[in-house]
Amino acid sequence: MKTFKGGFHVPDNKALTENVSVEQMPLVPDYYVSLSQHIGKPAEPVVAAGDEVVEGQLIAKASSFVSANIHSPVCGQVIGIEKRRNAQGATVDYLHIKSNGKQDKFTLPALSDPTAEQIVQRVADAGIVGMGGAGFPTAVKLQPKDPVDTLIINAAECEPYLNCDNRLMIERASEFIAGVRLIAKAINVSNVYIGIEANKQEAYNTLTAIDGVIADTKEALANKKDGDIVVVLLKKKYPQGAEKTLIKACVNREVPVGALPAAVGCIVNNVGTAYAVYDAVVNGKTLYKRLMTVTGRGVHTPKNLEVAIGTPLSTIVEFCDGLIDETAKLVSGGPMMGFSLANLDVCTTKTDSGLLALTDKEASTVLPTPCINCGRCASVCPMKLMPMYIDFYTTVGDTENAVKYGAANCFECGTCAYVCPAKRPIVQSVRLTKMRMKEKK
Amino acid sequence: MAKYVYSSSPHIKSPRTTRRIMIDVCIALLPACIAGCILMGIANPAYPQLGLLSFVQLLICCVSSVASEFVYLLCCKKSFKTILKEFDFTSLVTGLLIGMNLYPTSKWYVGILASGFAIVVVKMLFGGTGKNIVNPAIAGRIFAFIAFGAAFGGAMGFVNPKSGDTITVNSPISKGSVTAGATPLQTLFSDTATSSLTNLDLFLGTGVAGCIGEVCKLALIIGGIYLVVRGVLNFRWPLVYIVSTGVVAVLIAWIDACTVDGKFVSALMGSKFVPALGAFLPSILSGGLILGAIFMATDYVTTPNTKLGNYIYFVLLGVLTAVLRKAVKGEAVSFAILLMNLLVPLFDLYIRRKPFGYVKPVREKKARKNEQKEGA
Repeated sequence: MKTFKGGFHVPDNKALTENVSVEQMPLVPDYYVSLSQHIGKPAEPVVAAGDEVVEGQLIAKASSFVSANIHSPVCGQVIGIEKRRNAQGATVDYLHIKSNGKQDKFTLPALSDPTAEQIVQRVADAGIVGMGGAGFPTAVKLQPKDPVDTLIINAAECEPYLNCDNRLMIERASEFIAGVRLIAKAINVSNVYIGIEANKQEAYNTLTAIDGVIADTKEALANKKDGDIVVVLLKKKYPQGAEKTLIKACVNREVPVGALPAAVGCIVNNVGTAYAVYDAVVNGKTLYKRLMTVTGRGVHTPKNLEVAIGTPLSTIVEFCDGLIDETAKLVSGGPMMGFSLANLDVCTTKTDSGLLALTDKEASTVLPTPCINCGRCASVCPMKLMPMYIDFYTTVGDTENAVKYGAANCFECGTCAYVCPAKRPIVQSVRLTKMRMKEKK
Repeated sequence: MAKYVYSSSPHIKSPRTTRRIMIDVCIALLPACIAGCILMGIANPAYPQLGLLSFVQLLICCVSSVASEFVYLLCCKKSFKTILKEFDFTSLVTGLLIGMNLYPTSKWYVGILASGFAIVVVKMLFGGTGKNIVNPAIAGRIFAFIAFGAAFGGAMGFVNPKSGDTITVNSPISKGSVTAGATPLQTLFSDTATSSLTNLDLFLGTGVAGCIGEVCKLALIIGGIYLVVRGVLNFRWPLVYIVSTGVVAVLIAWIDACTVDGKFVSALMGSKFVPALGAFLPSILSGGLILGAIFMATDYVTTPNTKLGNYIYFVLLGVLTAVLRKAVKGEAVSFAILLMNLLVPLFDLYIRRKPFGYVKPVREKKARKNEQKEGA
């Protein structure tokens, strides 16, 4: 089975929602839609307080090349712009929309046989961003500066607990594959790989049963026809789904330090993104809904939900029958790279793949002790850095040396901090050093 | 309103803690301790009380190690409660190891002073757990060896039941006149004494004189396997150390055998090689090599941080051990580890990992040359 060097087998806890079908989140009275749900500049609102909007209508437009359109999740009335905290803890502008219960929908005209330019334009119009977590505007990604020859779909979903990509591939397999083909068409490549972790056997079987999708075996590859999509089964290991490790595992290319995947001729997109592209091109639907896993042993009924962007997390938790009293930690996203929440007074965005309520037993809250130099962090680092030195130099305030040991190359997967027996806050140190670097500049 | 823990990612962590690792090491050391106590008592019919003395020796070292850590921290004005809460069992490991490195006949104060020195001077004064520059247990043993000489003990009071190889000395403990046998290492390198011990004896520790913890290699290896299974120890490093010691010992024995009257006779090289191979097993099975290789040289704190660095470190350690054994005939393992421990910062400074996607930086001179070429 293909994989990369380093990494660690983190218990995945996916069984909680693995076989739970996706449910629709019912309508709630209030929606708060963030104006910066993506990397780049915040979107500019095109509606004013008091305006009536319908589901799917443009409410804020991209303000620069690296930015994305935002659409209304619901029929209702715009109340105004409010400042609220997002999951990352920053205060940003939110559009407050009160729903009026109507079912009207706004859709763009469906495209039957679109050209590459049409697809890219539609992706930009529909406001699609990378749905794996980073939120990079997909339209920008589909117009790479370097020549690319390979498209890799990230279906690893290596974050423990989360199942939304897994469920999407099982329940909407043919739509997902159609979306993948549209992306391949937009960037004009014929080498398409879907990297999937070995623990998603059901999704793997569903995908390989589809015509034109083949498994990564010798016999299958021998009969490969032009345009066939190859599903690569990857070893179950964290962080298998990180861009660079995924490329290494699927096509054995190493992205140089500080470069983008396009430097080795690859473009990586998430499962959710591929589905959103399908929805936008074939159904003309703009992006205002996404799949999300609500799980953890702190939730009474763990569920996979399709939620509208801007839904308050408190209503989602209520729909999942609330939290148990022993809940010690709330996390937006996955447990390894997600953001800790101080309360449920936060709303969903395009990049939220999960909401976790962890009990004290699950979320280790042990305090850090001195580093014993065991070297586990270095042995699991997928970027082959030496995290113990980054942590040490950051702690003593020596930014220069922390950078020397590669703090800037770290993508904060958290494997080092997971395995650390001394529970050193290594990722926090990396972030601190990155912040200090920015301040220096 | 409920209060939730707010922190940086990752939000889940492995159940392994420093404390658990140290408890595992303690468990791994137990078979060798028990075997040592039993062997010292049973295999020594003339003085069966040595078995009990071994146990007392271990107890003294453990208690004084832990106590000195507590006293030091109390002097630093930490409350007893926090010390107890932060206690990570590293001092217990050090104490056990020091006890295992003493002879049952060592005087009672040797263990106390060696433990105190190891914990206070070597560990705490350098900043506590994870900050010591050399392994505290090794430093403790060497301290005892240098400072106490006869009181440290040697193999006094030990009769080898098979050879009856005995030397009469004054025992520091029983006050009477008891006899002592040469340790197998001394016979290995001396021309006159011959040992009747087989390799199996050395492996099981039956009839072998030595420190409490080092006699039974089987028990030490069982402990080592436990650590490997628990994921605490990488089996590679003790193996590299032990094998390289054995190989160098064979080479030395070979060269020795080829040397007649101080002259190297190359004609003998062919015929003397196979007999020299016989030095491999005795050299790795005798002395404190296996104890040092599994439990002391592999101390996390005092080993390099890179794979390449570790290979070089353990091979050099093996070479140094074999050479020191030949040259000074005693305390080779502990001095080799101590010396190499002090070199670890150099390894970490000069041997670095290449990060993922590493691009070789173009040297300035080369870049200039290329520019000139292009210009021409």
